[in-house]
Amino acid sequence: MLTHTSRTSRLSARRIFRSAALSTLAAGVVVVSACSPTDILDLTDPDIINPSDVQSPAGANAVRLGALARLATATSGSGEFFMLSGMFADEYINGDSFIARQEIDQRIITVQNNFLTDANRSLHRARLSGEQAVQLLEEFSPAAPGWHRAEMYFVQAYVANLIAEHYCNGIVFSTVTDGREEFGTPVTTTAAFERALDQVIAGRALITGASADDERVLYALQVLHGRILLNLNRYAEAAAAVAGVPNDFEYLVRHSLSTSSNYNWLRNNNERRYNVADNEGTNGINFVSANDPRLPICFGGDAVCAAPPIEVTNPLRDDLFTAPVVQMIWTARESEVALLKGQEARMIEAEALLATNPGSAIAALNDARTTVAGLAPLADPGTPEARVDMLFRERAFWNFGVGARVGDMRRLIRQYGRAASDVFPVGDWQPGAKAGSYGTDVNFPVPQAEENNPNAAGCMDRNP
Amino acid sequence: MSWRRVLGALTAALLAGAFAGNDLGAQAQEGTIIGQVLESASGQPIPAAQISVVGTTQGAITNSEGRYVIRGVRAGSVELRALRVGFSEIRQTVNVVAGQETTANIRMTTMAIALNPVVTTATGEQRRVEVGNSIAQVDAAKVVETSAVTNVGDLLTSRAAGVMVLPATQTGAGIRIRIRGNSSLSLSNNPIYVIDGVRMEGTTGSSSVSVGGSTASRIGDLNPDEIESMEVIRGPSAATLYGTDAANGVIVITTKRGVAGAPQWTYYTEQTAMQDRNDYPTAWRAWRDISTVSNTSQCYLTQVASGACVRDSVTSFNVVADPETTPFGTGYRQQHGLQVRGGSETLRYFLHGEWEDEDGITKVPEFEKRYMAANGLSLNSNQRNPNGLTRITTRANINIVPTDNLDVAVSAGYISSDMQLVRSDDSGTAGVAANIYGGPGFKYNTNAAGDTLWGWREYTPRRVYQTETSQAIERFITSASTNFRPTDWLSFRANAGLDFIMRADHQLCRFGDCTSSTDRQGFKRENRTNFYMYTVDLGASANRQLTNDIGSETTAGVQFYRNIFSATYATGRGLTPGGTTVSSGAERLSDDGTTESRTLGAYIEQRFAFRDRLFVTGAVRSDRNSAFGADFKTVFYPKFSVSWVVSEEPFFGSPSWINQFRLRSAYGAAGVQPGTTDAVQYYSSTAVLGESGEEPGLVFSTLGNSNLKPERSTEFEVGFDGSFFNNRLSAEVTYYNKVSRDALISRILPPSLGTGATSRFENLGEVTNKGWEALFNGQILQRDQIGWDMSLNASSNSNKLVSLGNVPTITGTTQQERAGYPLHGYWSRGLLGYEDKNGNGIIEYNADQSISEIVVSDTAIYHGTNMPKIEMALTNGFEFWGRRLRLAGMIDYKGGHLVYNNSERIRCASRNNCSGLINPNASLFEQARTVMVREHPSRSVAGFFEDGDFLRFRELSLSLTAPQEWAEALRGRSITATLAARNLGMIWTEYTGVDPEAFGTTGDSPSSFQAFAPPTYYTFRVSFGF
Repeated sequence: MLTHTSRTSRLSARRIFRSAALSTLAAGVVVVSACSPTDILDLTDPDIINPSDVQSPAGANAVRLGALARLATATSGSGEFFMLSGMFADEYINGDSFIARQEIDQRIITVQNNFLTDANRSLHRARLSGEQAVQLLEEFSPAAPGWHRAEMYFVQAYVANLIAEHYCNGIVFSTVTDGREEFGTPVTTTAAFERALDQVIAGRALITGASADDERVLYALQVLHGRILLNLNRYAEAAAAVAGVPNDFEYLVRHSLSTSSNYNWLRNNNERRYNVADNEGTNGINFVSANDPRLPICFGGDAVCAAPPIEVTNPLRDDLFTAPVVQMIWTARESEVALLKGQEARMIEAEALLATNPGSAIAALNDARTTVAGLAPLADPGTPEARVDMLFRERAFWNFGVGARVGDMRRLIRQYGRAASDVFPVGDWQPGAKAGSYGTDVNFPVPQAEENNPNAAGCMDRNP
Repeated sequence: MSWRRVLGALTAALLAGAFAGNDLGAQAQEGTIIGQVLESASGQPIPAAQISVVGTTQGAITNSEGRYVIRGVRAGSVELRALRVGFSEIRQTVNVVAGQETTANIRMTTMAIALNPVVTTATGEQRRVEVGNSIAQVDAAKVVETSAVTNVGDLLTSRAAGVMVLPATQTGAGIRIRIRGNSSLSLSNNPIYVIDGVRMEGTTGSSSVSVGGSTASRIGDLNPDEIESMEVIRGPSAATLYGTDAANGVIVITTKRGVAGAPQWTYYTEQTAMQDRNDYPTAWRAWRDISTVSNTSQCYLTQVASGACVRDSVTSFNVVADPETTPFGTGYRQQHGLQVRGGSETLRYFLHGEWEDEDGITKVPEFEKRYMAANGLSLNSNQRNPNGLTRITTRANINIVPTDNLDVAVSAGYISSDMQLVRSDDSGTAGVAANIYGGPGFKYNTNAAGDTLWGWREYTPRRVYQTETSQAIERFITSASTNFRPTDWLSFRANAGLDFIMRADHQLCRFGDCTSSTDRQGFKRENRTNFYMYTVDLGASANRQLTNDIGSETTAGVQFYRNIFSATYATGRGLTPGGTTVSSGAERLSDDGTTESRTLGAYIEQRFAFRDRLFVTGAVRSDRNSAFGADFKTVFYPKFSVSWVVSEEPFFGSPSWINQFRLRSAYGAAGVQPGTTDAVQYYSSTAVLGESGEEPGLVFSTLGNSNLKPERSTEFEVGFDGSFFNNRLSAEVTYYNKVSRDALISRILPPSLGTGATSRFENLGEVTNKGWEALFNGQILQRDQIGWDMSLNASSNSNKLVSLGNVPTITGTTQQERAGYPLHGYWSRGLLGYEDKNGNGIIEYNADQSISEIVVSDTAIYHGTNMPKIEMALTNGFEFWGRRLRLAGMIDYKGGHLVYNNSERIRCASRNNCSGLINPNASLFEQARTVMVREHPSRSVAGFFEDGDFLRFRELSLSLTAPQEWAEALRGRSITATLAARNLGMIWTEYTGVDPEAFGTTGDSPSSFQAFAPPTYYTFRVSFGF
């Protein structure tokens, strides 16, 4: 049964509720109406840093440090460029199931290769950070030590040189100015080397002090200067550029759990996706069987690998075909990586002398070898061809895993007249384990993603 | 129109209405209508019928005895309308006498087809015939009682045309819902959800820790037993007034309500068994003759052909098919729930509580149990039962009617759940599925320690389960709504609510237990996230009968939504022995993030009714959102619809076989908003390790886009509804054409720019979705003792990316976004032909095309779309024994799409265990696609794009409504029992993978990659009312 209250009491209740509801509703509407929509919708996101926040000495310095973080990430960090470069060359072979990695190892790279796209992007991030830091330091922190800006020029030059060493003609350098994109136009690798050269020179000019940091940045700029000049076929100038760089110099990028892991270690030792190569595709250097103390090696699961600090106990690489071949230069996530070394200065000096004064050239090589115990002096192999082989072999061991080998292989073709089929891996690709053959690529293509730059048009050619 | 003007106008309207409502003098001219609603044949009272006074805001709902009271009715002749699902609409004239009670009893006639005559719109409930759109409805309460329903997705699967539901593949895993195809290239295509008038979180992939594939969907938190009905508002033409974000459709959920009357208690329990009855692929191995080279390498078919090796033998092994090695057992799920509903005229209540526990199908295999027993090892309870869910849900819904012209509804739902997810699906080398799909092709392989792996690839389940992943949810969804009707022509509506979620994701790998050497010393992730979703919705409606023939309803409203995501993440690595916390890690990392978005919208809608059979509606909504670019302010969405009940026109002649025939059409627009920071340019923090330690740095992150505006979808739909042959057949047919303009394209930024962001949203694109939807219900046989009903719902969808603006084709490894083709279409260099030219039974590749036995296209070609173009579900129900016993079954078809069988791709390309690589009896096609992906320079995977068409036996149920005397014998009110099964098996498919619905992820374009397939559920449910 329904219950009925008296009409009087219901009317009274109705008035009360009606008045209350009306008042609440009207108040709500008035409040809503009174608020400006702009006020209601204006939010401050705590996760982001506004561009105005970097316009101060502290902000400029933070951008400078950010550029160094970008450089570490791009090279031996999650950008993975050194590993991809080494796999394209003869330093590593693929040991996993990703087709995009395999096509790099096979030298049949597609323009949409996502690993190379990401790696390319990481390199340009470091470069842009370097550019922004220079501008901010000049404007907001002119009293900062000269090596601050010099190192930022180094970052830009190092990246530009690395890109020129790896990519085809058609390289693009874009930038962001005042928050707006400025698309670059394609240039040749030579122009890219020239660009790097200008930045190195600008950087060197800023070093006026004698502090450890001044010295560190100066030596780095010197070695890079020499390498760029080698790439430009200017050997004597290259040798002059590196004069005075001590053998034991190293320009380091550092890794940690909270910054960026060392991907040379992560991808090889830990994940076993890359493996140190031995005579890859006939032409490759015997990085494993050489037992060279500059490149200590173990096999996953063997006594050396299983013991600390390596601790690679798994006897199979990621694809389970064979034992992972593990480098022992970088043994942990936190291992620092020397982008440039003093020994390379000796290599540059040796290369400048090789054609005209082979004895002095070999002496320079041996000078560098004295820095590592167990390395016997080299003897003159007797022929120009063999001396070139020896020089580049030395370079390969000194610079193993730091992105220098592709540039050297291309120089062997470009500057020493070698055939690509005598320099890069050829023939069946990983016979018995995988399938297919090596292709003919001698450089990386401009990523397809660059087509979003209206000025870009891919590779001009795929020449070495 | 400025925002201040919109708000000002609305304020004026509301205040005007309020003062009008204070016209107390009018009460003297009012009377009361009372009455009872009865079923015409049996005379039984009909509860929950909606009685309304036509042309006014006044009405009532009948109590459990079918009685109702409507007070304050203007004196004179008025027309009452009675609506109730399952009954024909009744209109009855009543002469109301001022100051007196007038009795109006109503008799309603049952209809063979039970379509709900009322639908829920953004402006409130409306008669179905007045709405120019097709709105799908699911009678959730009935489906739950009669089917094997474990989550909200099961309620919708194949029950609403145009709604595609991708089922979950393991306990706690998420579902994916798409309505009328994919509209957005770069933004979410998830619909939005509204529960009891307020927005709720429904994201997919809701987890901050990875298990490789399956993660939860927040819509899965809801308890189907609490839901009365679900309505699917399919596209912008209907969703306009839901505004920005509604372009992908709206799913409106109404929870159960109390019915006035004595308390009605119901206890129910569900006991469910689950099994994985799918056929997982067999692993093959070809052994070399020991005299050739090495016995460690295999001898593949092409190597046999080339003479590179000699085979000794071929073996095969299927981990899942072997009872010793399978990780799948029988899962068990149990639910116990108690609910009560009842109340009085002024207060109605629905209270519900349920405890649910589910132990998934993933188990410790027999060989592992023996190994552990022999070696004195053990697993903890989480590791023994790595996939499970425990959930408690409670709900209290209260409806208060303090006065005749005011009612208040308060809903409060609380959910507490704890879920364990196993690393499964595509979780790399350490997942269950990865180690099943990657098996070596024989049973007694060993690892480095000499332990037998029993046909598993690298890790056995014991090792995989030692990484424990869980998600705890505490969720509170509450809403309060008020309807105030100061006069019989003016009403106000106010809704406010909050959906609050506290999500805690945990992942623990104890010291020494981890499968990866990265984490060998253990890690703990402890991530806590809070979600807040606020809704404030104010509206006012004015009803006027302008002439005898023309009625008018004007509605205006303001809505405000505020979404906050606030997360704190912590990770500890290098745990101490026994350590299980972040604090016990040698290295500790922390992170946090906060995003917020706000939307302020206002709308006005005008509806005219001509002779109660032609309904014309026009509306416009305006939105502003915090995520819009600084240079973009306000977006407007228009709407127009017509509904014409042609069968009531005199010229129609009313043929006897047509009971009702309606034409309808609608046009409307809605949007999808960009992400909260997509418009903004900013730097991000980073850390750098220098010679003096770690220091904070800044990196340029994103360019932003100050012109960013919402993606805008417009839609036109036209169709008809009808009921025929004494209401024994009903039909709904709809054609729709949806165009998304200003589509937000995640434009890839050239790498050379060096920005942190890889892309930037720009309003560039255009996407269309066109198709048909149809729903047919038929009562084929209708007798006292037996019945046969049939339901067919079908839909088609044709999706096309019309334009990418000036952006180049977006090319991925297997998919491209190319103008003129469907979104996420599959592209790759194609296998144009294959032929065993040398007759050796083996397909071989040679660079010399005259010798090569495969032909591959020179460029990537289009292969097909990944979204089904056609979906159909046919349900047949048979009733016996006085129609107390019902047997129902549903078969489900999806077709016209491709599924990328990425599992087989990796087996052939990298795991080296697929049939096409090894099996001497493999078809030439299997061999050809294997050769293409392994040996051809293109490395094309196109051979693994397979037809995804399937016909599946989706549901079978047998339900009994026990005779009343059975219930009374137990001193109860009712007893129902249901025996049901879901996913009974595949009737037909040409897909060669484990299941064309085996996806471990819930994105827009997933491949089937090392994924579990949907399990089969066997459910027994009993409900006892007392």
